[in-house]
Amino acid sequence: MSTARQYELVYIVTPEASEQEVADLHTQIEQIIQRYNGTLDKTENWGRKRMAYDIGRHREGTYVVETITGSGELMKEIGRRLRVMDAVIRQLIVRVDEELQVAQRTTDARKAFVARRRTARGLPPERQPGEGRGDGDNQDDMDLSEGQR
Amino acid sequence: MREERSGGGRGRDKDKKDGKGGDAPRRGFFRRRRVCKFCAEKIDYINYQDVRLLAPFLPERGKIQPRRISGTCALHQRKLQVAIKRARQLALIPYVTE
Repeated sequence: MSTARQYELVYIVTPEASEQEVADLHTQIEQIIQRYNGTLDKTENWGRKRMAYDIGRHREGTYVVETITGSGELMKEIGRRLRVMDAVIRQLIVRVDEELQVAQRTTDARKAFVARRRTARGLPPERQPGEGRGDGDNQDDMDLSEGQR
Repeated sequence: MREERSGGGRGRDKDKKDGKGGDAPRRGFFRRRRVCKFCAEKIDYINYQDVRLLAPFLPERGKIQPRRISGTCALHQRKLQVAIKRARQLALIPYVTE
């Protein structure tokens, strides 16, 4: 059994590879995903970018980011395949679902906290446009000095 | 936001040069930033792909800036550290700069 998890895959293709080769690589990955019953959530091609340091003899590379939902075996297979390919000079697979969940929880908790405080002060739970002093929207919570004034 | 607070609210901020930090002045003219950037801007997820987010925490040499300099809170420094290391693997930011 395998549970669905969300991963981010980033790989760098050699600058020598043509657009077509990059597209081929992408379809290959898609096929593997299909074979393992995963889903491809998002693809992003950053295009050719200057790298911060040389990898092999290359100074630049084509970055491709793919967000994939699937099993660990799927990612293992993709990683193995990419490692064999000469056109791919660097790859990184990161599991992101847990991290994103944690981030989402903190965001929600903060929103709830702000809403609670605001209702306690007799304000509508959401910040209204044009409310409060000056800039930003970050004055509702944690601003302890306000109460002391 | 910070400046306003030091003006009225708390007495212990009063005699500082500006409203920026509540700490004793450090060596030289550098003033420590007191607030964690990620807390202040409410960034919950530090994405390793976002070089512009990470760049302020990497001095010229490319080392990760310690918490005592940048003022980042422990939680976010830990997340930042992971993000920076991932970005390094992808050659988005350098390991070292000569």
